[in-house]
Amino acid sequence: MDLRLNLQNAVIKYEEKIIIDGVSITAGPGEMIFITGANGSGKSTLIKTIAGLLPLASGKIERAKKISYVPQVEEADRNFPARVKEIVMTGRQRPGKLFYTQRDKELVRDSMRELEIEDLSEHELKILSGGQLRRVMLARALCGLPDLLLLDEPCAGLDVESHKILFEALKKNLARGCAILMVTHDDSDLAGITSSRVINISNGRIL
Amino acid sequence: MLELLKYPFVQRALIAGSLISFCAAVLGVILVLKHYSLIGHGLSEIGFASLSIASALNIPAVVIATPSVIAASFVIMFVSQRYKTAGDIAIAIASSAALALGIIISSLGSASSGTSSYLFGSVLAVSEGDLIFSVVLSLIVLGAFIIFYDRFFLITYSEDYARSLGINTALYQLIISILTALVVVSGMRITGTLLISGVIILPAVTAGSLASGFKSLVILSGLVSLIAFIAGLMISFAFNIPAGAGVIGANTLILILVKILKLKIK
Ligand SMILES: Nc1ncnc2c1ncn2[C@@H]1O[C@H](COP(=O)(O)OP(=O)(O)OP(=O)(O)O)[C@@H](O)[C@H]1O
Ligand SMILES: [Mg+2]
Repeated sequence: MDLRLNLQNAVIKYEEKIIIDGVSITAGPGEMIFITGANGSGKSTLIKTIAGLLPLASGKIERAKKISYVPQVEEADRNFPARVKEIVMTGRQRPGKLFYTQRDKELVRDSMRELEIEDLSEHELKILSGGQLRRVMLARALCGLPDLLLLDEPCAGLDVESHKILFEALKKNLARGCAILMVTHDDSDLAGITSSRVINISNGRIL
Repeated sequence: MLELLKYPFVQRALIAGSLISFCAAVLGVILVLKHYSLIGHGLSEIGFASLSIASALNIPAVVIATPSVIAASFVIMFVSQRYKTAGDIAIAIASSAALALGIIISSLGSASSGTSSYLFGSVLAVSEGDLIFSVVLSLIVLGAFIIFYDRFFLITYSEDYARSLGINTALYQLIISILTALVVVSGMRITGTLLISGVIILPAVTAGSLASGFKSLVILSGLVSLIAFIAGLMISFAFNIPAGAGVIGANTLILILVKILKLKIK
């Protein structure tokens, strides 16, 4: 089976401090994995590493090429002079591809419609509410049609309606063969998708 | 004033200066947004040191200045990105050390008028070679901006997000460093090493309080810079002051005017 993610014995450190200590996770097409654990247990660290933002101190990783990542907090400056559409479009960038195509524009329009942020399309980043920004980040990830979708507490700040919309979108992506890793603190999320796995992180290890 | 345009040296100054001002301000948008505002300043001091060395060794200035400024540019951006807070410290150390070195070398050697013309700029000394250099440079900068526009936007917005998409951010960092270095080296001739950073930063800040969205910001910054350059050049002819100071003066006035008008409207 061609795996979307194959992480073996991952050790991840900040400076000399070990945060993740020998974690292995595999995910095949259409698999949904929830990651839970206490604050500070290393969930974001793990997701960031899978997203390619942090190095492995040891272990090995094989990942699908097309990855979309929704960070727990958007790193960019909230005053950055960008419009919602410009930000969502970046989800369509990939190595070796410099220009947006017509299809990119259609996919962006579709995912903005799906998350009901079409009306915000021309709005500037700085005037978005927390939940609106979260939906922008989700639309940016979904329009990338990823094979591996990494979500770090994607429901934070979402209202009930948007939460439902998100889970509908996730199901569609699973059906398409995308594997999803999602960090969450909310037990009700786990029930949202049947046939999913839960990984509980504690002290840098899988319980 | 208009009959000045008859003179070839005025024509050269006007064309080269306009092109460089436009390019500097377009790049300036990225530098300001990425909090590299001081980089132009640091690089120009390094440029000045290289020029002193070049004139002491009696070799063409650009031969030494271009590679050393490119290298410095990359190192500074790399350090700033890697060790977030260390960026301004790196710039401060590199620039004052380089300035000192430049002064030492030029005072040891026979005091050449070359270096002082680089400190303050000498827009009317723009040679045919300088003109060609600035035309080529602007083609490179504008070409790179058109080709890499979407990437530049993404990298400026969030380098982390770019990396999560698998994009080689160090490569674009390098491209931006090279473009910045080229603008600094060619701009030093016109505004002088002491003032080139203002040409890079001021228009972007002015445009920042007028534009909405990234694209309009980039274009507006270039246009503000172009207008400020032409106005500054005219001021410098009219009052017989160095062009660099005239250009920065015009840029500063425009910035203040824009800020006041915005306050009035609110
Ligand atoms: N940049 C950093 N440098 C050093 N230590 C860090 C850094 N980021 C996080 N840590 C530490 O690593 C540990 C794990 O952090 P992480 O963000 O992965 O936790 P988390 O499980 O996502 O928590 P939360 O539920 O609060 O989001 C924490 O002890 C944190 O203090
Ligand atoms: Mg976290």
